[in-house]
Amino acid sequence: MSTYRRAPRRAMTTAFWNTVAMVVSIVLGFPIYWMLLTTVKSNKDLIAQHPTFWPSHWDFSSFSSAMDDNFGANLWNTVVITLGSVAISLVVGLLAALAVARFDFRGRKPFIVAILVVQMVPLVTILVGLLPVLNSANLIGSLLGLILAYLVFTIPFIIWTLRTYIVGIPAELDEAAMVDGCTKAQAFRRVVLPLLAPGLVSTGVFAWIQAWNEFVMARQIMGPAQNKTAMVWLTFFSSTPSHGSDYSGQMAGALIIAAPVIILFTIFQSRLSTGLTAGAVKG
Amino acid sequence: MSVTQNRPSQREVQSPPPKRRGVTVRGKSLPYLFLAPSVVVLATMMGYPLVRMVLLAFQNMNNYRKFVNPSLVSYVGFQTFSSILSDPLFWQVIRRTLIWTALNVGLSMLIAMAIAALLGRISPWARVTLITVLLFVWSMPTIVTGTVFRWLFDNAYGVIDYILYLVGFKGMLHHDWFADPNQGLYVVVTSVVVWGALPFLVLALHAGMTQVPTELKEAARVDGASPLQVYRNVTLPILRPLLLITTALSFIWDFQVFNQIWTMRNGAPEQGYWTIGVYLFEQAFDRNRYSDGAVISVAMIVIMMLVLVFYIRQMLRIGDQK
Repeated sequence: MSTYRRAPRRAMTTAFWNTVAMVVSIVLGFPIYWMLLTTVKSNKDLIAQHPTFWPSHWDFSSFSSAMDDNFGANLWNTVVITLGSVAISLVVGLLAALAVARFDFRGRKPFIVAILVVQMVPLVTILVGLLPVLNSANLIGSLLGLILAYLVFTIPFIIWTLRTYIVGIPAELDEAAMVDGCTKAQAFRRVVLPLLAPGLVSTGVFAWIQAWNEFVMARQIMGPAQNKTAMVWLTFFSSTPSHGSDYSGQMAGALIIAAPVIILFTIFQSRLSTGLTAGAVKG
Repeated sequence: MSVTQNRPSQREVQSPPPKRRGVTVRGKSLPYLFLAPSVVVLATMMGYPLVRMVLLAFQNMNNYRKFVNPSLVSYVGFQTFSSILSDPLFWQVIRRTLIWTALNVGLSMLIAMAIAALLGRISPWARVTLITVLLFVWSMPTIVTGTVFRWLFDNAYGVIDYILYLVGFKGMLHHDWFADPNQGLYVVVTSVVVWGALPFLVLALHAGMTQVPTELKEAARVDGASPLQVYRNVTLPILRPLLLITTALSFIWDFQVFNQIWTMRNGAPEQGYWTIGVYLFEQAFDRNRYSDGAVISVAMIVIMMLVLVFYIRQMLRIGDQK
């Protein structure tokens, strides 16, 4: 009897919580919806006394107004800088991650603790000391200067994340390969590396996203107009007299520079937590 | 299977003493060789600059001329420290930062726990929808977020004012959210920061909640506990370590917030918006007062360490593990 009475009540509560969840989704998603909507609204719609929640007609001119003289060059700078620093830090970080995950040596523990603690130090405090250093090395205003500066956060992140992936690959696998006649290097190349590949890719993607989104270092290390990165470009674009109230242009610019991050992030986020070697050492 | 079984005996046969010694010698230097590149890079790009930063705190690099020509810089002892520490502005910024950070960490944790609990009791389709929205929110770069929210809260054509007007707050049309820095910082910037922090916190806490054994909850329920009691006495204690870590991370992020404040104030935050990150940036980089910036940096790191003592101790314990 009680089950008969409880079933509809449970369905009712679920329906209630589902409704709450939808309201939460709408509230949280609204800023993104509004950004997208603004890019396709005409200027007349934008300065209407009563904003509309759907465009009266579609107008894509915002995208061309966002692409000012510096836009392309700045976006290209960001591509070069982020790929450069991620490539360097993947190589450097992979070696360190291997050492920490596969070898027992004196100084291993202090190194791990250092890598963890170092990630807590605010970038802006490092930058106070880093700018004079880069200045004396003549690296201010150069792509190389910013590539090197980004290693400060990409390398610790990559070491720590890759370490977790490597620990997840059972050492018995490379031992077995070595028993079968592989050298250490061959065991790494033929056994560990293929299993590590997905981990390398997603770690690289997340380090890349952090570099792409970085602002303070980019603003202070890169100098004049053509030299900025995309994020710095957006802040300057939004505060110029000609575009200060061109919100559709600002939203279009924001959308273009955020799009690669949004796409890659949503693809790789789910992968970050999935087990890699599940089943690799089955009986 | 056969490989694993045969391994011990084969290894004994295949590794004669001299060869094994060779391997161990190489095994001893190999890890250091692997570590060398990252140690060198981090020492030059991070270690040395941090040392330089601490030295700067005892120097007088407080104008651009001295920045481009370091030979003009000299040591002044604790002079920069005393001038910053006796500045009421510094203490005002510290107070504001701590209160604002506490507000943001508290709000994000509370809302995140509520949404995480919500995720546990809704239908799969609703869960997928909410998680998808959270992932998109999570993926937004903070500079972009700040720019978007400045438009949402715009006083002339902003949609927030209009929605408030629609639901009955007629006076809120054309309300300027940023005129009063307290409202701008504690309401608008807080909403941006909490919005951006929620996805990670919700998904981490939700994952933690699914780890709580259902038998424990069932048993408590059978014993007559109300849902709230189950949550307080079963779920929360199991979540405690996770709650500590997420709170600590939230503190680290909110304490040094810069991008959102910077973009919402269009690159020129008024003094009422200065939390410690903005204050440091304005002093060191906008006015080229690097030594002042160095003293503020030291203060920033010291405060973080004091608040996070328990968290750092946890990390030291991680170092102990394999």
